[in-house]
Amino acid sequence: MKNKEYYHALRFELENCTGCTKCVRVCPTEALRVRNGKVLIDNRRCIDCGNCLRACQYNAIQAVADDLDRIAGFKYRLAVLSAAYAGQFSENIGYRTAKKAILQIGFDEVAEEAMVTGMMSRIIREYIREHADQKPILSSNCPAVVRLIQVRFPSLLPSLLHVEAPMSVLAAYFREKIAREKNLGEEEIGIFLVVPCISQVTAVHQPEGAYRHLQDGAIAIQSVYREAIGKIKQAERDERQVDIYPRGLSWAISGMQAEEINNGEIKTLAVNGIDNVIEILSKIENHQIEKYDYVVLSNCLNGCIGGILNNENPFIATSRIRDLIRSAQHIDFHDDHFYEMFKQGKFDVLALEARPILTLAPDIKDALIKLKEIEELTRKLPGLDCSACGSPTCRALAEDIVEGKASFNDCMVLSRKKRGTQEK
Amino acid sequence: MAEYWYIRPGYEDLVRKFLENPPQPEISQEFEIRERDFFHAGKAAATVKLTLKRLGVDPVILRRTAIVGYEAEINVTAHSRGGRMVCNIHQDLVHLKFQDEGPGMHDIEQSMEPGFSTADEQVREMGFGAGLGLPNIEKNTDMLHIVSGSGQETFLEAVIFFKNNEE
Repeated sequence: MKNKEYYHALRFELENCTGCTKCVRVCPTEALRVRNGKVLIDNRRCIDCGNCLRACQYNAIQAVADDLDRIAGFKYRLAVLSAAYAGQFSENIGYRTAKKAILQIGFDEVAEEAMVTGMMSRIIREYIREHADQKPILSSNCPAVVRLIQVRFPSLLPSLLHVEAPMSVLAAYFREKIAREKNLGEEEIGIFLVVPCISQVTAVHQPEGAYRHLQDGAIAIQSVYREAIGKIKQAERDERQVDIYPRGLSWAISGMQAEEINNGEIKTLAVNGIDNVIEILSKIENHQIEKYDYVVLSNCLNGCIGGILNNENPFIATSRIRDLIRSAQHIDFHDDHFYEMFKQGKFDVLALEARPILTLAPDIKDALIKLKEIEELTRKLPGLDCSACGSPTCRALAEDIVEGKASFNDCMVLSRKKRGTQEK
Repeated sequence: MAEYWYIRPGYEDLVRKFLENPPQPEISQEFEIRERDFFHAGKAAATVKLTLKRLGVDPVILRRTAIVGYEAEINVTAHSRGGRMVCNIHQDLVHLKFQDEGPGMHDIEQSMEPGFSTADEQVREMGFGAGLGLPNIEKNTDMLHIVSGSGQETFLEAVIFFKNNEE
């Protein structure tokens, strides 16, 4: 496991990088450094939160997702839409039309997260009741949060909801259904998620705790939107039956999943934005907040609607989704087979493993030696946390020096002082 | 002054060995805890937690230390005129020491009973003072030693070993 190659949905265009260190400073896991004037990533530390992408003004860090062309390799293609998708369109385009447009851009069938959120709520409530000793249960549908817990809060791993996220569950369900009904072989069916953020892309390419690979790719909402918007006229004329599930769209908005799970008996809390998530997880680690049974955590501000691969501004998209929930009629998706699959354990997740990036050495004695060296070095550094050396903080530079990845001379403040003394 | 001792069964020898001849700590961290400063309460425990994560301490042990540190920090914040916490890290254990400026505990044994609390209304309104702090500390530590008395300063120390002896 130690030499595991980590996939990340990020691409670095180094010729665009100015070495400004903006990305270095916003990374919640200190995965980035600037060395020799260019950004450098530690793949083991990165959790695909997307903070660096948002911070970079020079387009040196770009999002990676699968091309729509990729679906051509399959005989039967299913798109599984994130609940954020419906929020991308203006109100003169109906929700049903936006969904039908998916059938116009090369897919044979369209499914969506919103279909199963009702059933997932039931599954989650059952899980919470059965795992009362692990309280509070932490939501696991945000892949960046799952990875954050693996790297920074390994003691909380047992509290994570060990059930696949709605879109993965749908992939498992439809893979069986399509194979059965259309009489198709495994390799003929292409299942693609249409996703709002890069952590979902990473989760498709390198799922954590998955028993088997369920999806064939993850396409950005942005790219699908660009194609779909050109096919609205055709979609309006399309007479095929496509159901919509407005109530389930609420899962794209932070706070609304928690609201739905909360049935008076189960106490819930919703947290969004990676810094807020870190603060709450730290409190949970101390047993400082004990009254909640379920905590919904999302990396992006406002929830999935705030993901970096969306097209529309998150506030406008939220308002749009709220309108849809209010005005459209909701049909409940129900299939006994779906619940049966859950009972058979087909949505189960393997026990998630820690990825303890903070640990300085495998043995406590060695770690203590390093820690003492780091503390001593930190005291010698100016403590400005200016990042001019390319490490996020003075402490991180001290750590890099001890690890042999940087030198004391990298500190701009100290070398300037030194130069000043020499000139005198 | 009264004294209270708890040693987790199976840890008697380890604790005695440590107390009889306490070695120099590898790392020592000191924190000030201010009276009724609930906003900052938990910061000391957070720093200790980060240090233990860097050392690669087992997650279960880490969580136990976090609970002991946090609960004791809250006790000093809520019930005393302020005090200090010292965290000494050794190769095989963490030693937490809390010293406050009083007014002390009238009856330590009684304070150890789950649900017993002397917290005033203000503290309770803030969601503390359920009387579970000390029992929670005892549940999560390998050694607990308290010295206190009415109108006196309170000293509390706890030791948590990095290796689980029950394994």
